[in-house]
Amino acid sequence: MATATVAPVLGALENQPRSGPVTGWPSILRLQLRLDRIKSLVWIASVVALVVVSAISVSELYPDEASVQGYARLVSDNAAVVVQAGPGYGLQTDPSTGAVLMNELSLWTIVLVGLMSILLVTRHTRSEEETERAELLRSTPVGRHAAGLATMVNALLVNVVAAGAVILGTIASGFGAVGSIAFGLALCTSGLLFAAISLVAAQVAATGRAATGIGLAVLAVSFLLRAIGDVTGSFLTWLSPIGIGQGVRAFADERWWTPVLSLGLAAGVTWLAAVLAARRDFGAGMIPERAGRPAATRWMQGPFALALRLQRGALLGWFCGIVFFAAFYGALASEAEEMLADNPDLEQFFALSAGSSITDAFLASAVLILALLLAGYGISGVLRLSGEENNGRVEALLATPTTRTRWASSHLLVTAIGCVGVAAAGGLAVGIGAAVTTGDSSLVAEMLWALLAYVPAVGVLAGVAFVLWAWVPRLAILGWVGLVWSAVVGLLAQLLDLPDWVVSLSPLDHVPSLPAEGFEATGLVTMAAATVLLVAAGLVGFTRRDLGSS
Amino acid sequence: MSTSSAITVAGLHKSFGSTVALDGLDLEVRAGEVHGFLGPNGSGKSVTIRILLGLLRADSGQLEVLGGDPWSDAVELHRRIAYVPGEVNLWRNLSGGEVIDLLGRMRGGVDPVRRAELIERLDLDPSKKSRTYSKGNRQKVALVAALASPSDLLLLDEPTAGLDPLMEAEFQDLVTEAVGEGRTVLLSSHILAEVEKLCDRVTIIRKGRTVESGSLGELRHMTRTSVRVETERPVHGLQDAPGVYDFASRATESSFEVDGEQLGEVLGRIAEFGIVALTSQPPTLESLFLRHYGADGGGPPVQERPA
Ligand SMILES: Nc1ncnc2c1ncn2[C@@H]1O[C@H](COP(=O)(O)OP(=O)(O)O)[C@@H](O)[C@H]1O
Ligand SMILES: [Mg+2]
Repeated sequence: MATATVAPVLGALENQPRSGPVTGWPSILRLQLRLDRIKSLVWIASVVALVVVSAISVSELYPDEASVQGYARLVSDNAAVVVQAGPGYGLQTDPSTGAVLMNELSLWTIVLVGLMSILLVTRHTRSEEETERAELLRSTPVGRHAAGLATMVNALLVNVVAAGAVILGTIASGFGAVGSIAFGLALCTSGLLFAAISLVAAQVAATGRAATGIGLAVLAVSFLLRAIGDVTGSFLTWLSPIGIGQGVRAFADERWWTPVLSLGLAAGVTWLAAVLAARRDFGAGMIPERAGRPAATRWMQGPFALALRLQRGALLGWFCGIVFFAAFYGALASEAEEMLADNPDLEQFFALSAGSSITDAFLASAVLILALLLAGYGISGVLRLSGEENNGRVEALLATPTTRTRWASSHLLVTAIGCVGVAAAGGLAVGIGAAVTTGDSSLVAEMLWALLAYVPAVGVLAGVAFVLWAWVPRLAILGWVGLVWSAVVGLLAQLLDLPDWVVSLSPLDHVPSLPAEGFEATGLVTMAAATVLLVAAGLVGFTRRDLGSS
Repeated sequence: MSTSSAITVAGLHKSFGSTVALDGLDLEVRAGEVHGFLGPNGSGKSVTIRILLGLLRADSGQLEVLGGDPWSDAVELHRRIAYVPGEVNLWRNLSGGEVIDLLGRMRGGVDPVRRAELIERLDLDPSKKSRTYSKGNRQKVALVAALASPSDLLLLDEPTAGLDPLMEAEFQDLVTEAVGEGRTVLLSSHILAEVEKLCDRVTIIRKGRTVESGSLGELRHMTRTSVRVETERPVHGLQDAPGVYDFASRATESSFEVDGEQLGEVLGRIAEFGIVALTSQPPTLESLFLRHYGADGGGPPVQERPA
């Protein structure tokens, strides 16, 4: 009797389409696209807006050959510009407005699509696995690699759409089609390469947060490698996905093989991720879980200790990342002077502007980038509150005699201490890097203060994120807008020709960029006061509202 | 408000945007009792408990917990309240033991002997990282944390949803002991056997409103007994008798349900047919529960229940 009922069932199974490791990926992809529709649109729109606005602005600022050559004179051999922009492909041999646009823009656009791709991949793979719903999805007939494949196709779609829109946008802004297409191809393939790298990180890391951390670290190292490679003219540029992307030399005698190289690397790295994925358990990284301690240590006494413990990993990650980045960046300072010696025009430019040197300008730009990273840490530290609330973990805590104020302040305090610590260490690291290579030991203290001076401004950005979360938790994510704005203002204000009042909306703009400018205390005091006010306003809001639940 | 009440709630309202979660809920929990809090999914049990903890703010209604206001006196009250959430989310990087100690210390200290005893009785491995715990084990962590330090009031939101039967029995012992020590327990639960065993009084809610409240005895009186009887001659004429439901008969065997008030009269009429054997089942909480849940949609209609 049993066999009689089993047989037809088997027959039914045999009639099903054959199932393999990627069975079901189209449905997962559809689900991802549905969940992502707003996020992806915002990312794509941001990339396109950045490119189009820059394109329009560049064609106004550098309309003719003379202005382009003026730009080329000031930019070539200026290490500060090379690190923060590009190596100036084509500016010497065949200067054109397109070459100027690429030099100013390609680095940051690639960083942006890289960021977009990294976050997209970890969101849909490692972080998703931490939820119960992923298990539900996995229990349906989907293959082991279905989620990975769907995620990569998602990344491909988003990057292709972004790149296509960028190509159309640049052409519409009056730039040549060939260069625009080269730029678009570079963007799309670089984005995919970062997506693939992030997919590997998702297999290795124990948590979604760690996977994102690894992805961001790779992005930072890529930035550094190409910076060092471009400044010193070494092969290091070619070890960096960003360097390979910029290497397409759009608008300057295009090298079409670089996007092909990126694409090939992306395919290879994706294959590596698939091999790793086949070897690990669902919901676990490659690194196995250690047992914890059976009882808490003596110092684990309350919300502050818990906040410190919870933020420890992230703090350590940011600390090491920023110190490493700062030390290498600082060490490039001596190159700045050597490059300057090749460029009499630029040398004269710096000689004329009293009290400032190429080294100072270079280091001030290094400190600005470090300050932006510091703000990234500050905002993510504050938004930890949002994560704890959304996951429902805070309920158990606030059901004990712990006030909301105390719980929230604990996380703020840990983040604040972290910010000061990271700023001090990062400042010292740039200073030491610069002092060792230039032989000017006074730079150590100077750079320490230069980065510490940014702490109050970072406080304002983190404070805004805190207020948003405290009053309207759904809007907490908008806390990142402040950082994006400060980055646009800090890195692209001149390129975009932004009006002064817009520039002044960035808290970072009110910080004297030491050592290039003199010290000025008013801005710092104002911002410290603003931070305190924001924290107070946030605490008032948080003690009045409902606690969100899982 | 009466001082012998641990919790007094009257006319409680709470909306989230256009969703009405609580619509005039009443709840009274007397000091020293185990009070069952029943209701279908989404009826507002968890929202009520979160309001009692001051995690959510009530829109309107009277509200008193241990003589204080849950919103403004939250911290003071929390010294005397222990809570086991319905959905236990722990810090993934911390071990169960660390979570127990952390929460216990924040509530004013853990009794190490009690902690060890609870861990032993609930068969919990405290050295595992929280992310590796199953649902039931996460619940055990929350239970140990709640019971390891002194408290006057236990708020338990479906605390046994993930426990195995052995652990459930252990849990029932723990609750009984807690009440023996003079604590008050509010137990939201879906496991009716558990509620029948543990609770002195129950409150049943539906769509954010209280539909029934009282001791189990009182509630039983309002519900139906199911009867199965074998008689010498086939029973007839009972089909449409007042207070009789679901009458079914096959030759000399009949089964039906009967309202508490009509029980005596109906049995008298059956006696006329010569009773050979009779089994009756006392009204269960389940039948009460289903009657209210089934009232308009939501649950299976009472009439379709197999006799
Ligand atoms: N934060 C919230 N936002 C919106 N609706 C909510 C929220 N919390 C609960 N609800 C709604 O309130 C009602 C009661 O929920 P709940 O108390 O969790 O039910 P249960 O009785 O199953 O514990 C449900 O309809 C639920 O969807
Ligand atoms: Mg509930």
